[in-house]
Amino acid sequence: MSILNKLKLDKLKKITHREPEIRDFCIQTIRFKKFLENARAMLDLIEDGREKALGEYIFDRHYVVSLIDSVIERLGMMVYDACVLAPQSGVELYAGYDRHKLAAANLISGKSPAGKTGASETVTLTEPEYQLLSDALFWLNGKDRADAETVMAFMKQVFFHVIQGIEPTDAAKNRLLFDTSNVKATDMNFYIIDLWKDALAPPEKKRTARGFNCVPLKHLLMDADCGESKTGTGNSSSDPDWVAAVTEYQLSLNSLKPDLEFRLETLASGDAQSDFIFIFAGKSTNLDSLLPAGFHIEKAHYGQLAWDLDLSAKTIEDSLMNIGRGLFG
Amino acid sequence: MTKSLEILLLDDEPIVGRRLKPALDKIGCQVEIFENPLEAVARIDQKEFDIVVTDIRMEGMDGIQVLEHIQKKWPRTKVIMITGYAKMDLAREAMGKGVFDFIAKPFRPDDLRRIIANAAEALGRPIDAALLSGEPDKG
Repeated sequence: MSILNKLKLDKLKKITHREPEIRDFCIQTIRFKKFLENARAMLDLIEDGREKALGEYIFDRHYVVSLIDSVIERLGMMVYDACVLAPQSGVELYAGYDRHKLAAANLISGKSPAGKTGASETVTLTEPEYQLLSDALFWLNGKDRADAETVMAFMKQVFFHVIQGIEPTDAAKNRLLFDTSNVKATDMNFYIIDLWKDALAPPEKKRTARGFNCVPLKHLLMDADCGESKTGTGNSSSDPDWVAAVTEYQLSLNSLKPDLEFRLETLASGDAQSDFIFIFAGKSTNLDSLLPAGFHIEKAHYGQLAWDLDLSAKTIEDSLMNIGRGLFG
Repeated sequence: MTKSLEILLLDDEPIVGRRLKPALDKIGCQVEIFENPLEAVARIDQKEFDIVVTDIRMEGMDGIQVLEHIQKKWPRTKVIMITGYAKMDLAREAMGKGVFDFIAKPFRPDDLRRIIANAAEALGRPIDAALLSGEPDKG
C-alpha cells in the first residue's frame, strides 16, 4: 500500500460519517487488497527460493536465512490482515502462525529441521547452504510433506478464514445499504462504488458504470452486453447482482447472487511487476472455462483460488475482456 | 601460449569459493581461493593478481580495506566486489574508491564470468571467446 493510500485509509478510519456502512465496506475492501498484496509477496518469495534452488545460482547461508525471515515477516502481515477481516479467527490463526515461526527458527538453528519433519524423502546435498534451502522449500511447499504443515497450506487456511469472515457481510444487508446510498449504476445492473470518494460522502446522484475512470473495469466491460445477460448485468429494473468497488487502476468485483460465489480483485496499473488478477470462486464455478490460459488455480474444500501475476498491460486487458465475456455474455 | 589470467577469490563463505573455482577454471583462469581476508592480503603482498574478486563484508577486514590495500600495492589489478542484500552503503563507498564492478549474491557463475571477461578486456588480455561461449556451467 502506498503512503498516500495509507494516509487516506487512516483518514477514512477516523471520519465519523452519516453512512458508516459504506465506509466500512470500503475499508474492508482496501484491507482485503492489502491482504492480497502480502499473499502475492509470499508467492514471490517462494518462487525466488525455488528459482535459486533449481538454477545454477551461487548463494550463501545469509540468503537462505533472509528468505526464511522474509517469509515469516510477510506471513505475520497476512495473519494480521486476516484477523482484521475475520476477528473471530484470530486465536486459531495466530496459533498457526506461531507454529510456523517456531518451524522457521528450528530450520535456521538446525535444531530440528522443519523441512524434514514428516518428509518421506529429501535429497541430502553436500553443501549445507543448499541443504538449508532445500529444507526451507520443503517447509514452504513440499509436495511430499503432510499438507497441513506447509506454509502454502497455512496460507490457504488463512484465505478460508478471510473468505468466511467477509461473506457474512451478506448480500441482503449490502443491497439495502447500496440501495440507499445512490451507488446503483444507471447503465448496468451494477452497484458501483468509488473506493476513496464514496467512503467520505455518498454520491449525490447516480452514475454510469462505463463512465467511471477505472482501467480494469473498462477492460472487463469492453465486450460485455449491457442488455439482459446470463449473470444479470442487464435488466436495470431488477436488483443488481454485482458490486464493483473501484479506483483508477483497481477493481474489486463481488457477486451478490446467492447462488454465485465470486470475487475478482485486480490491479491494472501498467506496471507488469505489480499488476495481477485474483479470483475466488465457489466450487461449482467452472474456472477452467472462464479463465484464459496462464492462471494458476488452487482448489480447496471451501472453493477455488485463481491468480495470474506479473501481467503485461496487453495480457491483463485481454484476460479481463475474456473474463467479462464469460461473466456477462 | 598466452599466460592464464590470475585471479584471487576471497569470500568468508566457503561455498562461494568451492562453487566458483571450477566455473572460472573452465574459462582458463588460474584461481586461488581464500576465506580469511588477512591470509588473502598476505598472499596479495607476495603476488600481483590480474583480478581480485572479494566479498564486501567479512570478519576482520572488509572488502573496502582489501580494495585499498590492493590499490596501494598493485594499482593495475582489477577488483570486483561481491555484495549481499542491504550492503548498498558499502557498495557506494567502493564505487567511489575505484572498484571495477559489483556482483550481488545470489548470482550465476555466468554473471561473474561476464564481469571477469570485461575486466580482462580492460587489462588488454581478453579471454578466448570460445571458452566464454562454452556450455553453461551446471553448478
